[in-house]
Amino acid sequence: MIDAATSALEIAAAVRAGKIRAREVVAGALARIAERDGALNAFTLVLSEHALADAETIDRRLAQGQDPGPLAGVPFAVKNLFDVAGVTTLAGSKINADRAPAARDATAVGRMRGSGAVLVGALNMDEYAYGFSTENTHYGPTRNPHDPSRIAGGSSGGSAAAVAAGMVPLTLGTDTNGSIRVPSALCGVFGLKPTFGRVSRAGVAPLAWSFDHVGPLARSVADLAGAFDSIAGPDPLDPVCSTRPAGPCSGELARGVDGLRLAILGGHFARLATDDALGAVARVARALGVSREVTLPEVHRARAAAGVITACEAATIHLDNLRTRAADFDPMTRDRLLAATLLPASAYVRAQRLRAWFRDRVAEVFRDADVLLAPTTPWTAPVIGAPWNTRIGGVDVPTRGHLGAFTQPFSFVGLPVVSVPIVIPGSLPLGVQLIGRPFEEAAVLRVAAQLEAEVCNSLHRTAHSVPRSYP
Amino acid sequence: MADTGEPVRVTESDVERLAAQVGLAIAPESRAAVAQHLTALLAAVRLIDELTLPGATEPAPRFEP
Repeated sequence: MIDAATSALEIAAAVRAGKIRAREVVAGALARIAERDGALNAFTLVLSEHALADAETIDRRLAQGQDPGPLAGVPFAVKNLFDVAGVTTLAGSKINADRAPAARDATAVGRMRGSGAVLVGALNMDEYAYGFSTENTHYGPTRNPHDPSRIAGGSSGGSAAAVAAGMVPLTLGTDTNGSIRVPSALCGVFGLKPTFGRVSRAGVAPLAWSFDHVGPLARSVADLAGAFDSIAGPDPLDPVCSTRPAGPCSGELARGVDGLRLAILGGHFARLATDDALGAVARVARALGVSREVTLPEVHRARAAAGVITACEAATIHLDNLRTRAADFDPMTRDRLLAATLLPASAYVRAQRLRAWFRDRVAEVFRDADVLLAPTTPWTAPVIGAPWNTRIGGVDVPTRGHLGAFTQPFSFVGLPVVSVPIVIPGSLPLGVQLIGRPFEEAAVLRVAAQLEAEVCNSLHRTAHSVPRSYP
Repeated sequence: MADTGEPVRVTESDVERLAAQVGLAIAPESRAAVAQHLTALLAAVRLIDELTLPGATEPAPRFEP
């Protein structure tokens, strides 16, 4: 039986084996969206008719003896900054709603469809992906399936909530400073931010060209790897997409952690976080038998540079609209973008120099380690509309901005990271980051798969079960 | 380490003056929030400036013709 908890690969296997029709699977997903999304607001568009037609095409191809691909009949949805042919790409904004529909799919969307997956809709996000909370003023906040009074995280909040609520087994998001990993952690699902340049950004509305990454969110590591294998690889349409071939990761998962040198990140990554967030890392470290701690230098400055580069690039992208129609921006993003237009050019260039320097320091740590462990967020999901600042460790920090304190340093230098969900019964979800060397997604996915078996699955019913009704 | 002195304080009139230089007219009701965000960004810039990097360190982006 296919239900809200069925994995993408289980669905594909059943469809490919002729045990169920893709149309039936997609109709089930659409029914769950109709039942559940009213309370969560993860979707900004549901493509019911197109999705059912696409599913029927999959069924016809199978009936004709053709192979529709490894994700045959799997319903998926994408953050609404991905181009979808025939649909206007909102990027969370009111301004972009005036634009013409996209002429063709973003490369990653096209590759998912090419693998047999069926697009069922577009998902809510922070305006222009510039936030960690998906408290979108234009389209409303996306609510956390574990507690609808709380944020889903962002900026790929709809992508995380849709998976966590069992509406679809797979989504795509983007991550510039943590926008896949933060919502994955707060909603209790797996999220992969691949290496910078590993997955094409063609057809994806940018936040910051230097750091934008495309990646999948899922309820299982096998699904995460399957989606990644489908979308990774060179693309001449994206000038920063790597030309090196992408080897499939799915076949690597069963290798476990044998031969991998693991270490826990201390220093910056053990400060200004709740005991629960640090406890999640300790739980993972115990499960993996890891006790060695390493540190990275000047992480707080790396994070500052990531913020400056993001602000400058985002402000540059939106400068024309800031000049002519500032009132149409979401107030949550507008004033930050306006401030960034006023920075001196030297700030941006110096931040990019620090990025090159920090990349080399991180590489030094990876001489003696293959995968590093760190918390994903410093705390669980705040309530929607939480105060601007939160006090922790005697310091006032921005409630939303501080959600990226542990994720920004790694997108800053483009490393592959999986956020693994940790859900203690009776508590809200948290995440632990598994950070690898560039282009070594297989290593972080192997560790994630072992953790899924040893830690996450022991908590499976809590982490992945979906409430049957919402307030 | 470079000594960059006291924290920068950005006023609403600073915002108005700087915005004019880049062709922006920032609404009066937004200026206080923009000043607050610019103060935070300049604090981040200070963290970057305080770290003296080797002279040979080039910016990260690379252009290949």
